Amino acid sequence: MTAFRAIARNVVRSSFRNRTALLFTIGLAVFFMVIFGVLFGGNGPSVRVGVVDQDRSALSRSFVQQLQRTKGLEIETGSRADEQDRLQHGKVAFLAVLERGFAAAGPDHPATITAYQSSTDTAETGAIAGEVVASTAVGFAVQHHLVGTPGIVIRPPQGVATNNVRAIDFLLPSMIAYLVLQSGINFVAIGLVDQRARKVLRRFLATPLRPAQILGANIVGGALTVFIQIVVLVAVGLVVFGARTHGSWAIAALAVLCGTATFVGIGFLLTSAVRTSEAARGLAALVAFPMMFLSGIFFPIDTAPKVFQDIVHALPLTYLSDALHSVLNDGAGLRTVGVDLVVLLAWAVGCFAIATARFRWE
Amino acid sequence: MIAAWVVRKLRRRAARARMETQPRPAAQPGPVAAGAVITARSLIKRYGPVVAVDGVSFEVVAGEIFGILGPNGAGKTTTLDILEGLRDSEAGEARVLDVRMSTAARAVKARIGVQLQATALPMFTTVREAIDLFGAFYASRRPTDELLAEFDLGEKAAAYCTTLSGGQLQRLSLALALVNDPDLVFLDEPTTGLDPAARLSLWAVIEAVRGRGKTVVMTTHYMEEAERLCDRIAVMDQGRIVALDTPAALIARYAPGSSIDFEVARPIGESVFATIPGVDRAEVEGTRVRLSTTQPELVLTRVFDPSTFSAWAPAAGGGVGVAAGAAVHDLRVRTGTLEDVFVAITGRRLRE
Repeated sequence: MTAFRAIARNVVRSSFRNRTALLFTIGLAVFFMVIFGVLFGGNGPSVRVGVVDQDRSALSRSFVQQLQRTKGLEIETGSRADEQDRLQHGKVAFLAVLERGFAAAGPDHPATITAYQSSTDTAETGAIAGEVVASTAVGFAVQHHLVGTPGIVIRPPQGVATNNVRAIDFLLPSMIAYLVLQSGINFVAIGLVDQRARKVLRRFLATPLRPAQILGANIVGGALTVFIQIVVLVAVGLVVFGARTHGSWAIAALAVLCGTATFVGIGFLLTSAVRTSEAARGLAALVAFPMMFLSGIFFPIDTAPKVFQDIVHALPLTYLSDALHSVLNDGAGLRTVGVDLVVLLAWAVGCFAIATARFRWE
Repeated sequence: MIAAWVVRKLRRRAARARMETQPRPAAQPGPVAAGAVITARSLIKRYGPVVAVDGVSFEVVAGEIFGILGPNGAGKTTTLDILEGLRDSEAGEARVLDVRMSTAARAVKARIGVQLQATALPMFTTVREAIDLFGAFYASRRPTDELLAEFDLGEKAAAYCTTLSGGQLQRLSLALALVNDPDLVFLDEPTTGLDPAARLSLWAVIEAVRGRGKTVVMTTHYMEEAERLCDRIAVMDQGRIVALDTPAALIARYAPGSSIDFEVARPIGESVFATIPGVDRAEVEGTRVRLSTTQPELVLTRVFDPSTFSAWAPAAGGGVGVAAGAAVHDLRVRTGTLEDVFVAITGRRLRE
């Protein structure tokens, strides 16, 4: 056990002395946080309003156009389910649904708009947006001689519990996922290959250590390195960037643990494919970078083509990113992210099984 | 030269005798049969079609420096690998410290020290940390500071291993090999790639290791190194041991001849030198003379004896006489080396 601890400690210590590796892991994560935080930070001067046109008549379309011309409103249209989802996630502050029969408005039945707005984070902007939509509706009714009829009735806004996820709040779980990926793959793959190429592993084999002890200590050391980096990253995100999170950190930590197992496992697997540490570095980048961009950690992939989405759903990082965003942005519980964690663990078990069988000591 | 050899030899033998009479520490598994620390019997190891080790047998006795000399690819390292428990022998038996490697390699590994050919040190680790790290692998270990002092690494204790010079690196890997205070130390080409000064200082360090009562098994392809350090040498070629004995005995047997080179004041006929007792062959080129002999002491006495040439002078009628003997200068005696031994046995040179 002393020997195991000594090796693991040496792995952690030397990892944190390796400035180049730190730059490409936690350094890059913090850098991304700054860049993306500045680029997409804040909600801008206009208020986002979702509009769902259920009537699809000339009149309803013209009303939507009217709204689009209104200053201070940024209108996006979509299906009812989509827009409701976006309201829930704080992507829009207010939602107006133009109900069926909008154009057929007469004395008996008014043209109806159902309004939804956030009752929590964006309540204030939502209320303002509601006022603007209402006054636009009055003007529209006058213009289209709907006066005398009940005109356009706006059903009283229904409060919807939403999370206003700001850019930085979305970025923090993304960067945690990124760091687990890069750090997990890099420190273990490059570390092990480097030690093998430098005959350190062979030298260890000439001591009374068991082979499993040597590998295990290296892998545990790699995982510890990942954890320490995550703790630092989260502290920076919360303290320096003021990121807000929901949900349980314990579940987030569990997700990080499962993700670390997966990516350390992938890193371990890569060691059987290369000889030199340069090749290990290249292969790690080849595996990590596409996954990083394909797994929705920088931007949502919901709107991507079908084929693309299938690829995305085959990648383990998607599940880690999903789990972390669900927990930290939406406050999801273990039940929601359970599937994600199981997929991650399955990846981990698979990688370790193959890697252990294929590992070469020299 | 020869005298120096003998003196050194005797001193070594005496040192070994002293060590053998000392009581062995309790950790020793009883008296090893006839002092054999290693017994290798018909070891065989193949890599694909290549037979790296082809029926190697030898014994190493306690307290000696046992050298394995041979060119690159002779099977030296593979032989060490088997004895260190890094590889299994396909056939034959390796007993180290009275334990069969095939049954209890880990127990042996706890009691041996190993220096591999490559540097084999982790990145971003200081000298002190490296010693502490390897120390943690053993149940009992020597204090880090003691090793730092012994191997003259105190000043470098806080430096990364990767910043050390070649000689310092080799001293560190020796310190790591001795961290568990082993009875037996394996050194694989400990001075390869070092400059002459670093090599000399490392030789002193290795001799000091033997001085502490350790048995040392080392490989080398430097004949000077084998000759200077090793009590006995196994000459290896193409996976086999082709000769095994003390350096002196090997030379006496395979390269017994010495050559005596010198210059004389004026040309003297070959026949004069050829008649000197003990001279096997004389070559004269102008004033340069080379005498081949197996009895250099005898021949040298004659070369410096004026009467050798005075006996000849009257016949030549030239009056060279007494002066000729005194005029011998620039004299060099070259005795047989292990290189000559290797050439004599295999017909090839050690380094080609």
